[in-house]
Amino acid sequence: MRIPILKLHDYLLISVQVDLDDQTALQFQEDVLNKIHQEGSKGVVIDLTSVDMIDSFIAKVLGDVVDMSNLMGAKVVLTGIQPAVAITLIDMGIVLDEVPTALDLEQGLERLQHELEG
Amino acid sequence: MNHQIRALIHEYRSTITDEWLKEVEKFRGENYLQTISDTVYQNTNREFVDMLFRTLDREEEDVKASISEYTDRLIQLGWPLNYITRGLQEFRKATVDTLIKKEEGRALEFYQEIEDWTDEIVNILVSHYSGTWENTFFLQKMALKELSAPLIPVFNNISVMPLIGTIDTERAKQIMENLLTGVIEHRSQVVLIDITGVPVVDTMVAHHIIQASEAVRLVGAKCILVGIRPEIAQTIVNLGIDLGKFPTKSSLKKGIEAALEMTSRQIVEIDE
Repeated sequence: MRIPILKLHDYLLISVQVDLDDQTALQFQEDVLNKIHQEGSKGVVIDLTSVDMIDSFIAKVLGDVVDMSNLMGAKVVLTGIQPAVAITLIDMGIVLDEVPTALDLEQGLERLQHELEG
Repeated sequence: MNHQIRALIHEYRSTITDEWLKEVEKFRGENYLQTISDTVYQNTNREFVDMLFRTLDREEEDVKASISEYTDRLIQLGWPLNYITRGLQEFRKATVDTLIKKEEGRALEFYQEIEDWTDEIVNILVSHYSGTWENTFFLQKMALKELSAPLIPVFNNISVMPLIGTIDTERAKQIMENLLTGVIEHRSQVVLIDITGVPVVDTMVAHHIIQASEAVRLVGAKCILVGIRPEIAQTIVNLGIDLGKFPTKSSLKKGIEAALEMTSRQIVEIDE
């Protein structure tokens, strides 16, 4: 199972529509980085609206993707994290400190634009 | 119960009653019953004794029903439970004493029989009283929950959650849920948590607030903590709580100005 990565101008749009398992998450990490390299993207939006569950490993992988993409010069925004998911993450003590977040895809793109300009 | 003992109790009924009334009169003043008029007091006592004697001859189910009914009335009148249990203790003593005086040598037998009889009544009384308390407690809890944590949208993308009263773990959980679902529902970018009405902010409350604001950040909005009174600021610093991660303001007014700034807006006066 691979997660589709769409290119829109300078950005990459990724909508995660399945519950991530460990293998898919690692594959996804690799795919995103390759795609950034390939397209020279400046920003990435990862939309998690349809994700009902994030465990500690997936959270770590997502955090890693953000760090790695930053190293490659692409800013990442996570969008649409569900309340239940947020509560679980906080309860597990995972705060995803350095990761920018936004309410939905629209605001995520706005935020990216804002950060890249400013 | 033994037929013989039952008959004996009935026989000395008036002596027992007189003894008992004398005893309970002694501790009437200790309880909050001074305000009750003498007639009501005496009537209720009489009724109590009558009920106790009536339970002697009845089947278990009947006993339960009549005691329940009587207890309900006592609860409505606001008689304290400790008065009733103490009254029962005195009643047991009075009965045993009277019987022993009349029929010496059978003390242990009397004691056991009467113990069994009154214990059952105490059990019913206490379970009834505590049931009423639990009920009241539950209703109050529900009321508190309803008043708990509303999220109010004030401008586009800006919402306020005023918190009033002490925050415990259960309430904190509810606050967090309301906060997150509200943020998504109103598409808020900035949420102001107003703690003007929270009397004490200790490490636990601070922890809950920090958790809530971090969860809000995860779903994609920002939190501003407003309404920090001087004494709250003092406690927070003295306890060494780090609130540096998210912005704080002293009043809701300043918080709203900051929130407008964060969403690139401002309030301007119109020149007429």
